[in-house]
Amino acid sequence: MRHYELLVVVKPTLTVEELQAKLNYLKEILEKNGAVIAATLEMGTRKLAYQIDKFERGSYVVFYFTAPTPAIAEVERLIRITEEFIRFMTVKFENQKELRFWNKQVEKITKKSDAPAPAVVESKEIVEETVPTEA
Amino acid sequence: MAEKRKFARKYCKYCEAKVEYIDYKDAKILRHSLSERYKIMPRRLTGNCKRHQEMVELAIKRARATAVIPYIIDTQKVVAVPFEQLQQ
Repeated sequence: MRHYELLVVVKPTLTVEELQAKLNYLKEILEKNGAVIAATLEMGTRKLAYQIDKFERGSYVVFYFTAPTPAIAEVERLIRITEEFIRFMTVKFENQKELRFWNKQVEKITKKSDAPAPAVVESKEIVEETVPTEA
Repeated sequence: MAEKRKFARKYCKYCEAKVEYIDYKDAKILRHSLSERYKIMPRRLTGNCKRHQEMVELAIKRARATAVIPYIIDTQKVVAVPFEQLQQ
């Protein structure tokens, strides 16, 4: 099992339900191939830096997961077939520094998704956390 | 030759910030190592150390492939505020 990060850019024309359906489809593929998803991050619809298939925008979704090596080829094959995914990028995290970053990201996402309700104190913590990575 | 140094000493900003891994999704970190036309700046101009320069290169190339930052800037099609989403 290795640590991976998968980013997919989905067509902007889909409705919310369609998008969720596509993401669930992707999750199913991942899990069927033996991946364990640690966290998912929806970055929302963003403007693309350049046109892709005549689209100006795209919704970015990131998955953090561990998976056996041969799973990646299969998942990428299926992503290529699916028309709704206009771009994807798989990144392998190997050495200790990279893994530390992977863990940090997973922690950050789970923290965010866990605590949107208790507002003030929690949000401050998150802000402080993001500072060192951005500097 | 004997002229005094006119510029501030260059140093690696990523080392200073103790960056361990450069995330390609974050255009803000990469901006420092990109020229106005979004080319990768050489080490001699940014002062990056070799280790971080290599990380930056990889991150920039990944960011380009996923349309986070552009490959080229189109001079034919001029927009009022280009890449507003990158500045924020």
